[in-house]
Amino acid sequence: MYVIAVYDVNVDRVNKVRIFLKQYLNWVQNSVFEGELTKVELKTIEGSVKDLIDQDEDSVRIYILRSDKFLQTIELGTSKVEISEII
Amino acid sequence: MKTNYYLTKDGVLRRKENTVYFINKEEKRALPISKIYAIYAYGNLSFTSGVASYLSQKGVPIHFFNNYGFYEGSLYPRETLISGDVTIHQAEHHLDADKRLYLARRFIEGATQNILKNLKYYCSSNSSIEKYIGRIEKELPKIEGYTDIPQLMSVEGHIRDTYYSALDEIFPEEFRIGERVKRPPNNKTNTLISFGNSLMYSTVLTEIYNTQLNPTISYLHEPFVRRFSLSLDVAEIFKPIIVDRVIFKLVNKKMLDDSHFVGELGDMLLSDTGRKLFLQNYHDRLSTTIKHKGLGREVSYQRLIRLELYKLVKHVLGAQEYKPLVMWW
Repeated sequence: MYVIAVYDVNVDRVNKVRIFLKQYLNWVQNSVFEGELTKVELKTIEGSVKDLIDQDEDSVRIYILRSDKFLQTIELGTSKVEISEII
Repeated sequence: MKTNYYLTKDGVLRRKENTVYFINKEEKRALPISKIYAIYAYGNLSFTSGVASYLSQKGVPIHFFNNYGFYEGSLYPRETLISGDVTIHQAEHHLDADKRLYLARRFIEGATQNILKNLKYYCSSNSSIEKYIGRIEKELPKIEGYTDIPQLMSVEGHIRDTYYSALDEIFPEEFRIGERVKRPPNNKTNTLISFGNSLMYSTVLTEIYNTQLNPTISYLHEPFVRRFSLSLDVAEIFKPIIVDRVIFKLVNKKMLDDSHFVGELGDMLLSDTGRKLFLQNYHDRLSTTIKHKGLGREVSYQRLIRLELYKLVKHVLGAQEYKPLVMWW
């Protein structure tokens, strides 16, 4: 599955969440990650992020698509990163 | 889904924030560690010991290629899937002349059948291919007749020569192969073949790493010191399926022009853009999925290589006789 993860987390914890998500997903913008995941990886992320954040204050949303084929993006302005396997 | 990363630029790999960063003057890219299946390094790559140990820990091999696109070596992580049982049986099949011949023949048979599939595909539009198909089919029964490895290798060489002559009938003039020349390749198509084959060996090696097989014990090729020769054996079957088809696509769809090559006839290389174009198409080909007859689900071409190795494991353990993969699609 292809996921887009966005988060709104207090500055005290935001770095932890960012560093964690970096291991699984591609960084696209501040507080936005996206990428291909397996079911198991999604469960791992859910579990770990829950431990990292403060349930009362922070919010993390994960949008799930069956495949990136269903994802259409419109980008205005300059792209911050390019996601490709060939560098 | 883990994916392969291909680094064509010069730069540094560094471990930072528990993931891997590719850094050079122009950019800084984070590669998510749990998404890396293998790294193919074509540029000048420096890396820190931190990243080396981290990648080994995660079981990610890095393959290095030189300027010419030739395979130089791999940073092969510590083997975690080991089985004495498989190694012993694998060696037994090498030492016993009959058992070794059986496997060597299967590899050539698989390669040849896949070559024939490729040629038959073109035969419908170009009947001049027919005579080459006939010639190759005549060579096939000889495989069973020969009883020593060098003879088998020469049959394989013959088949490949005929195959390349047949391709010359289809390819536009500037892509004629003529004679297969390596180190350095002398014309455009030889350059593409060399580049693709090197890539294929390391892809197979990556898959071997993920099985219990020992990459140095081979059957068709001699197990030379300092070479992972089992990947050469298995690559024979996949070259026509993966590498050759990428080349057909690039040539027939006229995707290549002079900017994709550097050097002159006699000493030709892929340019940076050429390399990227080839890698992109190779990567797409590896990730293409087909419906597997036995498993009844979609599998990628990369996965087919792994399945082929599992068949080899079953064969050496005596569970099921090895039959090479022949394209059924």
